[in-house]
Parts: sequence; structure tokens; C-alpha cells
Amino acid sequence: MTLQAVLLAAALVAFPFVVHSSFHLNAAILVFLFGAVAQAWNILGGYAGQLSFGHSVFFGIGAYTSSVLLWRYAFTPWGGALAGAFLAATVSLIVGSPTFRLRRHFFALATLALGEIARITFLNWTYVGAAIGLYLPLQYRNIGTYMMWDGKRPYYMVALGLCALAVALAALIDRTRMGPYLRAINADEDAARALGLHVLRYKQWAIATSAALTALAGSVYAQYVLYIDPYNVMTARISLLVVVIALIGGRATVWGPALGAVFIVLLSEYSRTVLGHLGEGYDFIVFGAAIMALSLYEPRGLYGLVRRVRSRPLPQIAGAAQDLIGPPSPVAAEAVLSIEDISKRFGGIAALDRVGLSVRRGEVVCLIGPNGAGKSTLFDCITGFQRPDAGAVRLRDASLTGAPAHRVALLGMVRAFQLVRVFSDLTVWEHMLVAQPHRNESVWAALRRSAPRVEGQGQALLQFVGLLDSRGILADELSYGQQKLLAFAMALMSGAEVILLDEPTAGVSPQMTQQLIGHIREMNRQGRTFVIIEHNMAVVDALAHRVYFMADGHILAEGTPEQIRGDPQVLEAYYGR
Amino acid sequence: MDFVLQAALNGVLLGLVYGLVALGLSLIWGVTDIVNLAHAEYLMLGMYATYWLWALAHIDPLYAIPLVVPAFFLFGYVTYRVLIRRILSAPMVSQIFATFGLLFFLRYSAFAAFGPNVRGIWGSRLEGSVPLGGLVLSLPKGAAALAALCTFAGLWLFLNRTRTGKALQATAQDHRVAQTLGIDTEQMFALSWGIGIGAVGVAAVFLSPFYQTSPAIGDAFLLLAFSSVVLGGFGTVSGALVGGLCIGLVENVLGALIAPTFKLLFVFVVFIAVLLVRPAGLVGK
Repeated sequence: MTLQAVLLAAALVAFPFVVHSSFHLNAAILVFLFGAVAQAWNILGGYAGQLSFGHSVFFGIGAYTSSVLLWRYAFTPWGGALAGAFLAATVSLIVGSPTFRLRRHFFALATLALGEIARITFLNWTYVGAAIGLYLPLQYRNIGTYMMWDGKRPYYMVALGLCALAVALAALIDRTRMGPYLRAINADEDAARALGLHVLRYKQWAIATSAALTALAGSVYAQYVLYIDPYNVMTARISLLVVVIALIGGRATVWGPALGAVFIVLLSEYSRTVLGHLGEGYDFIVFGAAIMALSLYEPRGLYGLVRRVRSRPLPQIAGAAQDLIGPPSPVAAEAVLSIEDISKRFGGIAALDRVGLSVRRGEVVCLIGPNGAGKSTLFDCITGFQRPDAGAVRLRDASLTGAPAHRVALLGMVRAFQLVRVFSDLTVWEHMLVAQPHRNESVWAALRRSAPRVEGQGQALLQFVGLLDSRGILADELSYGQQKLLAFAMALMSGAEVILLDEPTAGVSPQMTQQLIGHIREMNRQGRTFVIIEHNMAVVDALAHRVYFMADGHILAEGTPEQIRGDPQVLEAYYGR
Repeated sequence: MDFVLQAALNGVLLGLVYGLVALGLSLIWGVTDIVNLAHAEYLMLGMYATYWLWALAHIDPLYAIPLVVPAFFLFGYVTYRVLIRRILSAPMVSQIFATFGLLFFLRYSAFAAFGPNVRGIWGSRLEGSVPLGGLVLSLPKGAAALAALCTFAGLWLFLNRTRTGKALQATAQDHRVAQTLGIDTEQMFALSWGIGIGAVGVAAVFLSPFYQTSPAIGDAFLLLAFSSVVLGGFGTVSGALVGGLCIGLVENVLGALIAPTFKLLFVFVVFIAVLLVRPAGLVGK
């Protein structure tokens, strides 16, 4: 912990002993509670990019669970809060898992609808007080095991603790690989999947954590205001307020949501006292305008404005760079990848018609053919991005037919896309972290730093492709050629045995093409198997052990580069009769 | 049985109005690829405009049409020019947040200006009801449905029978190709916002005589409009019409059969179910 953090913590703990005005303490408690909820939202909506407009459901579940347990069964709210958090996490998984398939604005609207469904349900549910609401029984005041006090100071401490928990969790996410993982999912889900990341599981982790934290804040809020009904704890107003706080403060940052809560809650509370009820609304006009302006000019919100003046530090890498040069491994006899009779139709067009090919361990195989031959579609079909209509794919002994993209990567086959897909929000180094091998990695393991061995490997690979000095900059800021090198380094980082490259040299300068050829050769010498879609015959000649020629969804010829050059079908396809 | 038929009649009438709101949303979405989260806020403001014309200037809602609709066309046009133009090529998250900010801005502007009170119009020319073969036809709802149908027909003719309408459709399909063919796509984007918000203006005027307004009605109408778009499939006039009708029927018939307090709940459940099962909509591509 840094000195600043210790000082801040000390000042916040000391605050209620210095300030006794219940008005100020009330404002502070609300800041902490909404700061915690906004940070909870941020884990799902900021880091993982799943925009929820329905967090009132989780807030309300927390408030209702602990209150009903206290009201009906005299159960302590400390336990009730945990029960509420557990229930909210469960509900979030039940509703979240199917809705995660939706595009972003659909997810946002589905969650808004869920919030309304919950509100209408609770408004008519007499067991929880329906529209009349629920007054918390006051006889539990100042009893040790309950969460109800006369003064505001204990509430202040509880709310502060909760907010600190939320910030600490965000800091943990930010500092471990969880941060890059979630932000990669936000930036480009498919590309994250192609690297073997189990996207759904991380989204589920994010929504359950977010819901649980939100429910805790809901419980504390209910114990603090002593009265709940659907209008104050389960309304779209809360869902939207939380989004506003996180957005204005700065999404996908550790301190942004807390900063937003300070700014927004204080401004609302104090403007209301100055302007009375006339003042209601004016602050939110300003917030609305601020969000529009921030979305145009500074997506990172207030925190982004603060951070602008500071430069990004170069990431520290644990572990020594590893020696990449291994013993040369010759081409083996047995096939590592075999594709049998893959077919794929789009409407009336047969993009692939019973395509079969096999790749031996340690080979470089090039796939050539005119545009529209079906080469990229073949890659899509064998890496789980499209479902083939028929046929089978085997990698070593494992069947990959119809396997989802992340499983293909986990089993040892990774692809780089034709149009390079870098994660727009991540630094070069974070790309390497996202690309690390994910086999046997549990979601909770992502809350730790990678092993020094893994980081050392990443460092060596960046050095190998000449990007080590650029590791601190955003991949967006690299040149196109450098992005291709990064994509190549990521494919290697994943530890995949078979690497599929889709036109790696297209749009790349001649010098960089030569570099890339050298890199591929070197990595092949060390036992990696490559399947490369390529148009440039010079590159094919320099790399390929064998070439497959494809046209109109068929494999028409197979052989060494020289054999292919002389094949009459190939000549016909390229030059006509 | 009669009360079910009555509910179905009301559902059809209201569904046409929902369809009209959805049409604007769908058109803007189709042409500019922006999901306008603030769409229902325009409806709320349109109802306030009609209300104040009635309360202050004693202009009957029936005669407010030539004032409100052109004003809202302009409103949409200006929104495009000032805000939307700048976010067209931004990442989707930024687009969502920009219209979300707009939602807040409009909603709380109304809140600050008009207060939280619910306001309704009484004694307009569009009041009362007539018997219709054992059922009761509410005149204001009938007028709203008729106005919605006329707007649908007018827009369909505009989109399919005029050069500008076809240019608008071309822009919706691929604005880059449209641009190379000499279509001023910038103008088309702005036009789609003008028409979309103008259609909302029509809905607002005709909702006013029987639906009270307050700054907070946006959420329900946003979800109703989205449900209609999702159900009907976006991008077509007929999709919005069919979607609106389905939503109106679900809301009113299920509400009458089971319990009126739950009628919006049914709509949202159907909405989520359709999203999960058929994201392209029931009659979509």
C-alpha cells in the first residue's frame, strides 16, 4: 500500500470523529454506498463491457433479503446481507448466462426490462410488503449482533468498509491478468475466444461478483434508511444513477466510480439543500450533458481527465527472458491436423465442398487460391468460428468437429486473423498476458499475477519480434505491420502447436515481410507447425514444405511449391485458358 | 368473452401507436446504425408540448398537429446535427453512452422545467366513446390509431415511391455505396432523425388526450418501442407495425385475462424471450 492510500484511509476513518453534523455524515454514507455499487457495476459494465441497466434488481434483492429475514425471522442483517449477496449472484447467473449472447445494446435493454419485471413483481408480492413497503423493526437498535444504530457513525464505518472492499477488488482486477482478460473481452470477444479464453465463464464471474457486491450495498442501505419499497430500492432510477456515476467518474478504472460518487452524490445532496426541491433535476441535466461530452472526448471520464497529465509507466515484467532457441525438430511422419470432407454452404453457394487436407507435425503448409476460393471460410470452420455442415476435424487424437473457438485454442491450434484484430484498449504487454496459455486455468487463478516463467516467455517473444520496447503503448498506436508482428507473437505465446496465419504478409512492407518469413522459419525449426493462407508466391516458396491449391470450395492440387507452379489446373485458375 | 374482445380492440388501437414510436426508432437505427436510448424522451417532451399548447394557448390537441410535428421533425434534425453526427464512427459503447446522456439531459430538463407532477388534458375534442357492435370504441384511442395508420401509409409511400425515400433506403443498406452513387448520406442521416422524431411527435399528440404525462414515462415507452422493434424485426415499416400490434395485444389481452397490474410485465417477458429465441424478430430478415 502506498503512503497516499494509508493517509487517505486514515483521514476517512477519522472523519466522523471530527465532523458530527448528521447532514455531512449522511452525504458521506451515500457517497460510499453508491461508490461501492458504481464500482460493482464497473466490474461488469466497465471492465467486461457488458452494459447493465438493471442493477436495481441486485440492489433490491440485497435490500429485500436482509430486511425480510430480519422482519420475519429476526435474522441478523450481517448474515442476511451475505444471503442477499448469494441470492443476487445466483439470480445474476440465471438471467445473465442466456442474455450474454446478445449484442451490447440488446443486453442493456434486456437488463432494463429485467429491472422492470422485478419492480412489478415486488410491487405485487405481499410476502415482501408489496407496494406498502416494509418498515424495519426498530427493536434491534444498538444490539451487538444486528446492524441498526441510533447514530450515523457505525453506518459510516460499514459503508466505508464496503466501498474500500469494492475499490480493493477493482485494484486487484486491474493489477492481475483479470483486468486485461476482461478488457479484451470488452474490446473483441471473438479474438479473445480465438486465444482460448473461456469468455462466458469470465462474464459469469464478472456478473456474479458485481451482483453480490451490489446486493451487499443494498442490504446496508436498507438497514440505514429503515424503510424499503420497490420505489426506493428496485427502481430504474437506481440502475441509471449507478451507470451515470460510473460513466462520469470513469469506467474501467479503479478510482473512477468512487470519484464519480463523490462528485455526483455530493452535488445532488448539496444542490438540493441550496435550491430546495426546485433544485431537483438541474444536477442531472448537467450530468446528462457531461456524459454526452465525455463520450465524445474522454471515454475514461473524470478519472481519465486526471490521468491525462501522467504518462503511462513501462510495465514491469517478472521473470527472466527465456531462451527461445530450442533444438531443431524435423518434420514427423504422422499427421497432427487432419481435415476430412468439410462442407459449408451459404444459401445456394457451396463455400466448401468436401475439403480434406492433412498437416504433419513440424510442417509449414501453405494454402493458396484465388479470392473466394473458401480459404478463410475453411479456417473459420476448423477453429469454431463457423459450424461446418459436414466433415470432421482432428488435432492429434482430439476431435475438433463443432468445438467452440476457445476449446480449439486450448487443444493447441490458434489462428491469427486476416484483418489484424488487436484489442483497442490494451497495451502491447497486456496483449501478451491475454495470449498466455489458458489450459487448466480457473477463473479465480486470473486474480493472481502470471507465473514468472510465463512473463519471461512473453518478454522473450516480444524481444523476438522486436516489440519489447513498445510494450507500454496501446496496440492501436502500432503500425499495421507491427500489429501483425504482435498477432504473430500472441499466437506463439498461446503455446499452440499448430498456428494458422491468414495472409500474414498482406499490406506489410517488403522489409517486414522478410522479417516475418525469418520468424516463421525460426519458430518452425523449433517444432511449431504452420498453416498459412498466402497470395505472395515468393513467400510461399520461401516457407512451404507443401502447398494446397484451392478454388471454388475444392482442393484442386497438392504438392511442393515447384509441383504446384507447374500444375495445369493452377495455371488455369490464375491465368485462364 | 366480451372483455377479451374489448381488450383486444384496445390492444390493436394502442399497438398502432406503439408501432409509430417503434417506427421512428427502427428508421433511425436502420439508417444511422445508432440505437437511440433517448427515443421515448422525445415522446414525453411531445406530450408536454401538446399539454402546454392546450393549457396555455387553449389549442386543442387535434389542432396541435401542424405545430408539434414540424417542430419535432426539426428537433430530430438538430439532434443529429449537434450530437449524433459526431458519434457515427465512434465505438458502440461511446454511442450507447452518448444517447444515454441525451436521455438524462432531456428527462431532467423536463423535470426541472415542469416538475414531477403528472399532467393530463381534459375536455379536448377527442373525448368520449361510441358503441361498436357490443364493444366500446374510445374516440381518442381510435383517432390515435387512425393517425398512426395514416403516418404508416404516408411513410411507406414516401420510402417506396419517391426518389428521396429510395435514397434513404439505399443509405440504410450501405451508406458508403450510397455515397459513391452521389447520395448526400449526411443529409439522409439527418432526414432519418427528422422523420423518426417527427413520427414520435404524431404519437405524442394523439396519446395526450388519454394518457397522462410526467418526466418519468420514458422507461416504459422505451421498452415498449424496443419490444415492438425486436418483435417485428428492425429496418422495415411493416416490421414496426406488426411488432407494435403484437405488443399492444400482449399487453392488453394478457392484462385483461390475468391481471391488469402485470400487463407491462408480460410485455417485457415476451421481449426478453424473443431476444433470446429469435434476435432477428418474428418477421425479420
